[in-house]
Amino acid sequence: MIDDILNFLDPYWWLIIGVVKAVIIAVGLLSTVPLLVWLERRLMGRFQVRLGPNRVGPLGLGQAIADAVKLLFKENIVQSSADKFLFYLAPAIVVFTAIVAFSAIPFGEPFEVGGQSIGLWGANLNIGLLFIFAISSMGIYGIVIAGFSSNNKYSLMGGLRSSAQMISYELTLGLAALCVVIMSGSLNLYEIVKSQSELPYAIPLFPAFVLFFIAGVAETNRAPFDLPEAEQELVAGFFTEYSGMKFAMFFMGEYVNMITMSALITVLFLGGWNSYIGLDIPILVFAFKVFLLLCVFIWLRSTFPRIRYDRLMTFGWKFLLPLSLVVMLFYSAVKVYSITA
Amino acid sequence: MMEFLDQLLSFNLDRETVFGLFQQSLVFIVGMTAILASLGVILCATPIYSALYLIGNMVCLALLFLLFNAEFLAVVQVVVYAGAVMILFLFIIALLGARKEPRDLSFQNLMGLGFVGLLFCELLLTMAVGETQPVQGQATPEVVQQVGSAKAIGIELFSNHIIPFELASLLLLVAAVGIISLAKFTYKPLRKRTRT
Repeated sequence: MIDDILNFLDPYWWLIIGVVKAVIIAVGLLSTVPLLVWLERRLMGRFQVRLGPNRVGPLGLGQAIADAVKLLFKENIVQSSADKFLFYLAPAIVVFTAIVAFSAIPFGEPFEVGGQSIGLWGANLNIGLLFIFAISSMGIYGIVIAGFSSNNKYSLMGGLRSSAQMISYELTLGLAALCVVIMSGSLNLYEIVKSQSELPYAIPLFPAFVLFFIAGVAETNRAPFDLPEAEQELVAGFFTEYSGMKFAMFFMGEYVNMITMSALITVLFLGGWNSYIGLDIPILVFAFKVFLLLCVFIWLRSTFPRIRYDRLMTFGWKFLLPLSLVVMLFYSAVKVYSITA
Repeated sequence: MMEFLDQLLSFNLDRETVFGLFQQSLVFIVGMTAILASLGVILCATPIYSALYLIGNMVCLALLFLLFNAEFLAVVQVVVYAGAVMILFLFIIALLGARKEPRDLSFQNLMGLGFVGLLFCELLLTMAVGETQPVQGQATPEVVQQVGSAKAIGIELFSNHIIPFELASLLLLVAAVGIISLAKFTYKPLRKRTRT
């Protein structure tokens, strides 16, 4: 019976492999989130000269499980004036887009199993970079819908802020990534990593790297750009009305986005799985770079105060955008010169 | 479940038929969803749901592009329309506080319905035209396979269609300048308004 089905599907083996990969990526990402929360709380503790969670299990690692269980069993409150359908839809969009965006990121060379070469990626798209941008721009809808459907002024403000912020910083993000595309001549993330086998783009394209990192932090709604949630002024912004698992889903979305952004920076600027010092374990090298970037994200959060909203907009439109345009023009001139000369 | 599978396998369907049928039904389902979503845009009473249906429609169109192997077009469709334009629509609707519109059949509504009916009739007239000729470009499927759809579109756009492309960008520039001048600079009224 099973053999029959397998024979039937034989030329379409990539369908089966695709499903397996999708499950591995989704489960892997979602189970990394509690660990990341633990890491953030521990590191934040150290930055603020305190211990952080250290009671549950060794090094406080059990805290991750305890938190997850607590959130799962919390009461699920939906206020009566909320738009029910959109209220339930919003967290689903946030988590879905976060996981799908990660699926286009390659984290190693393909390897051979039983004559089939299996790539270490969810999908190796010819337009991988654009795909990630497209999906992450869909993720904003989750936040805006959450803000709108809660029927709460603070939430609405959070949603509006996030849509304005995302649109402003997406331009800089795209232009900075375009520098890499110009230099490598490809939108395929695997090809981009391949073209960095000698030198990571962070060195020749340093200005673009800095711009991309700043815009990336803003895109993931992390401090100092966490205007949409802003606990002190907006009482957690777009998810004020959410509780229990739906609240946890927004949390998951944010942390998965953080991982995706770190992985994207690693692929575009830090040379992906190329180690440059002769260490030949691609996945470990990749994971280490992502881990370092995640630590920088947490470091930023505990170092900088939140910037004011008008300054955020001015900074995005009047400083970052012109600068990224100039940087892009400069690198395209360099590219044209290197082709003609 | 097992019996059903046994039955399916005993039909001796070859793979190509099954997967071809699957592909076709996928195109059909996505197309129907797109039509339903576009109906939702005009039939919904709340503006926010209309906007969401429009987003759904655009995503469905992107999926159709994807099913016909035009990945670049699909992604651009999502980035530009669903990602940038519609977020501004939602922004405005959320800002103005959308209310449910009351439904009443007034004379204006009847006029509107009549106009829509007329448009539908004109749409039906196109059935008399018969099959249209597809536009023949230089980018054959082989070329697209070789250089990738992003490059193929770029080459086509910057060689054969460079003048319309530049004109369109000029038009957008004019629109942007016009909006800034309308929004930023206020003109003094001819006569000062006096308080009564």
